Amino acid sequence: MINDKFYSRLQDVVGERNITRTPAILDTYAFQWGYEIESAQRGDEPSRFGQRPDAVVLPTTTEEVQTIVKICNEFKVTFKPFSTGMGPWAGVSEPGAIQIDLRRMNRIVEVDPNNLYVVVEPYVTNSELQAELFQYGLMHHAQGAGPQTSPLASHTSFVGPGFTSPYTGFSGRNLLGAEWVAPNGEILRLGSYEHTGKWFTGDGPGFSLRGVIRGWMGAYGGLGVFTKAAIKLYSYPAPKDWTWNISGTIPKYEWEVPKYWKLIVLNFQEWEQYESAFYEVSDHDVVMMATTSSSEGLAALFTDTKMEAIEVIFGGLLARTRRYFIVLIAAHTEREYNYRVKLIRTIMKKYEGEDLIEEGFISPRSAHYAETIRNMLGGHAFRFSNCFQSTHGGMDTVAMAVKLAQVNQPIKSKYIEKGVIGDDRGEGIWTTTYEGGHMAHLEVPTVYDGASKESCLGYAEYQDECNDVDLKQAYGMPFFIVGDKVHDYYASRTMDYPKYLRRIKAAFDPNGISDSSHYVSAKNKSNE
Amino acid sequence: MTLENYEEMMDGCVRCSKCKFLPQLQIKSKRFSHICPSIEYFNFHAYSGGGRMIMANALQKGRIEFTPEMLDVLYSCTNCGGCEVSCKWVYDLEPNEVIHELRVKAVESGAGPLPKHKKYIELVERYQNPYGEPSEKRPAWIEDDIKLDEDSNTIFFVGCTAAYRREEIALSTAKVLNAGNENFRILGTDEFCCGSPVYRVGDREKAIEIMKSNVELFKSKGVERIITSCSGCFNMLRTEYPRYVETSFEVVHISQLLETMLSDGRLKLTNEVPMKVTYHDPCHLGRMSEPYEPYEGEKVEILSQVYMWDPPKPERLGAGGIYDPPRNVLKQIPGIELIEMERICEYSYCCGAGGGVKAGFPDFALWTATERVQEAEETGAKGIVSVCPFCSTNIRDSLDYRESEMEYFDLTELVLMSLEGGE
Ligand SMILES: Cc1cc2nc3c(=O)[nH]c(=O)nc-3n(C[C@H](O)[C@H](O)[C@@H](O)COP(=O)(O)OP(=O)(O)OC[C@H]3O[C@@H](n4cnc5c(N)ncnc54)[C@H](O)[C@@H]3O)c2cc1C
Ligand code: SF4
Ligand code: SF4
Repeated sequence: MINDKFYSRLQDVVGERNITRTPAILDTYAFQWGYEIESAQRGDEPSRFGQRPDAVVLPTTTEEVQTIVKICNEFKVTFKPFSTGMGPWAGVSEPGAIQIDLRRMNRIVEVDPNNLYVVVEPYVTNSELQAELFQYGLMHHAQGAGPQTSPLASHTSFVGPGFTSPYTGFSGRNLLGAEWVAPNGEILRLGSYEHTGKWFTGDGPGFSLRGVIRGWMGAYGGLGVFTKAAIKLYSYPAPKDWTWNISGTIPKYEWEVPKYWKLIVLNFQEWEQYESAFYEVSDHDVVMMATTSSSEGLAALFTDTKMEAIEVIFGGLLARTRRYFIVLIAAHTEREYNYRVKLIRTIMKKYEGEDLIEEGFISPRSAHYAETIRNMLGGHAFRFSNCFQSTHGGMDTVAMAVKLAQVNQPIKSKYIEKGVIGDDRGEGIWTTTYEGGHMAHLEVPTVYDGASKESCLGYAEYQDECNDVDLKQAYGMPFFIVGDKVHDYYASRTMDYPKYLRRIKAAFDPNGISDSSHYVSAKNKSNE
Repeated sequence: MTLENYEEMMDGCVRCSKCKFLPQLQIKSKRFSHICPSIEYFNFHAYSGGGRMIMANALQKGRIEFTPEMLDVLYSCTNCGGCEVSCKWVYDLEPNEVIHELRVKAVESGAGPLPKHKKYIELVERYQNPYGEPSEKRPAWIEDDIKLDEDSNTIFFVGCTAAYRREEIALSTAKVLNAGNENFRILGTDEFCCGSPVYRVGDREKAIEIMKSNVELFKSKGVERIITSCSGCFNMLRTEYPRYVETSFEVVHISQLLETMLSDGRLKLTNEVPMKVTYHDPCHLGRMSEPYEPYEGEKVEILSQVYMWDPPKPERLGAGGIYDPPRNVLKQIPGIELIEMERICEYSYCCGAGGGVKAGFPDFALWTATERVQEAEETGAKGIVSVCPFCSTNIRDSLDYRESEMEYFDLTELVLMSLEGGE
């Protein structure tokens, strides 16, 4: 338990209004999607309630964050920061810890349209940032978690694939700079935030601090607090006079689709055709989105209610869908648009594919275009179930993604037969390419019953088996490598990288107070 | 329903924070991205729709109990329903219903509501209104030239706020009704609070007693049709009453009636009212007024681990509120130019007064109204128009506080200005 002296020191920093230890308020920080699996694994009944923090603080400046971190060091109290706080990695993991909720740090510090970057604080959300950037004809990369989540959280601390990844890459690739309150209370400003050199310390002559703070995965809140991030921007392909124009009433909104945009669903009979077509489309670097799911997933993406999705599935989509990927062409000019559409159609024909939209099996409405660009389509999965998690996640090549989809199918089917996970015939996947297709990502969203211990444990077992396959057959690092145990599991095949992560952790977090539950601890806890 | 019935739903919250914001496609700027005034003002997650649902779940599971601090969180919510519109677009969850149920539980267990709420509930019981005003004063707003038809089966249900605090709205409503030859009478000193302030803070038992006695009163007076100028009364009489008591009367809001009177030519708007205005959707006329369809059914597994309601459950997404009539009326007033704010219709931002907040947390109520007024000011309009005396009180308080150049108008006041031979 934290003591009164510690609490009052924090209160002096943020003021009475911005700190709490009221149990009812604290419990709203102890509840997370995904905790039910962890609780089932502990042998308890599945529950989304996990560890309650001892206090929550709401700082509003970097200096306040720094002082809080210093006080935590002085009193040896563990802390966990979060931005919008969605997912089990956002909460504290041990008794006696505090939560740093960065909600009050919500400023867009600077937009530089000429040098194509924006500097944001943690609680600027993807949709807020996007709305402000459109007026410059620009956009940023938003992670698939949703428009209401934080780009800073993803860019600094998470992998960050999203629906526009073929065009905008993943979050880690777009971090140009960060202001970092390290776990020891030091403030470091790193990366090429400003060309005049203000923050130019990161990927400079020494080793890359960007690698240190995040690498591919991010530290999931286990390495201090990021208070600002400079994020790369991209051109938004719409005419200059285009504005975000949305009409209608929920749930049937209509959106003014920019003139040269088009969704196409390329459906092929076999994986080989799919793979070749996917490579060719990617090589030409002409699409904003290139993504695959199951037929159920396709129905969920381009409908507005669960009922509509079910009707589409059984109205022919299920029977017709084989190996498909959806592309969004988003061109600046008519010429560019015509070229791209023609190219995609040529590739489709070459591999004997068809367009499921043109064939009338699925009909995206204008609002679905808007949801694509706003990174909202992932949320549609929740129309089917509030309980799903992803296995695998390797970021490698299109070929590997295809292989992994095939390898996964019989494994998943085994657990479907046991009745512990949702039945998608083992075909439910999520794939996207990155940056012109030299990379691709495959994860396997899997529905389970969050109220059933058997189902939660069944899912966990399935995930372990997937991790094992990834490791033994070298299918890339899974998406969710969290905590000492899982990191160490991969150590032998990956040059023992956790050893070096631990050195970083020890150097910046000498007191071990930046909650390591989803990162590594300086001392290898999994060996204890 | 009891809180227990909601447990499975509460367990399904993803803690995604969508309920803090407008439905995400509707976000057009960072400045006006929020839908929940409570989280915006207080900041801890518990102050959001999802946060309160987690709190209810924690109570249900015996992890926490009612304490004064917890009650403060519970009651610093305007019960505006915004969270539910944003959540339900994606999930099968009803945070605002849960918040209400938690308030009911607070009252039933003797913990709630807050002392200030208890005080006005006492006043309702003693004086028939939450302001503690004598019944004799209820019809004091009436002027001599108002024509009442004592034989009419239509009543203008004035409501406590218009009768005692916003008399100008009661008067302009009566005048436009007269102008449109709409026969009506009022209940005068017999009128009793609709029960809204009692119901909203969770005293369901007393609220149902009020509903029952009002229904009896209407019956005994031969009332078949009720006109309201107050969105709160409209919401109670049209949407909440039928959930608890049998009703046999039609309820119509003045904005709907004005639209009808204009379309059938009973009202003619001829005078120019040269003004740019913006329109504030009261939550209780908008998303909260969507009727509840009675439903009985069960969840069935339609695909493995995927459940649906059988028969299909009617969706109450917020689309069925009253949004067009007031706008259609405004658009017919010569000289009026309607400029919309960013947050409108089902994703409108609350004025900040409802749910017992004006009484319990006046600073928060004023702050919320000021957010709304700033949004209105950004449109460049000179007038802010609405159709609810309670919104009017809070918005006017903010206009005074900000020394804003904007002016507040009830829709009926503008109609009155534009009437042939009008004021
Ligand atoms: C339903 C669901 C779907 C998802 N889908 C995707 C997806 O498609 N693509 C993807 O990339 N991710 C996905 N995620 C993961 C998600 O992107 C991350 O949880 C996160 O980046 C989302 O933003 P947030 O604001 O909620 O982050 P938070 O939950 O606030 O934070 C995420 C992690 O980063 C840490 N963190 C956050 N802010 C800071 C900070 N300022 N300083 C230090 N550490 C910080 C937190 O401690 C936490 O461990 C998904 C998660 C969920 C729950
Ligand atoms: S009802 Fe309104 S104030 Fe209350 S939690 Fe929901 S959005 Fe916030
Ligand atoms: S109530 Fe709904 S919108 Fe809010 S956090 Fe929970 S799931 Fe998300």
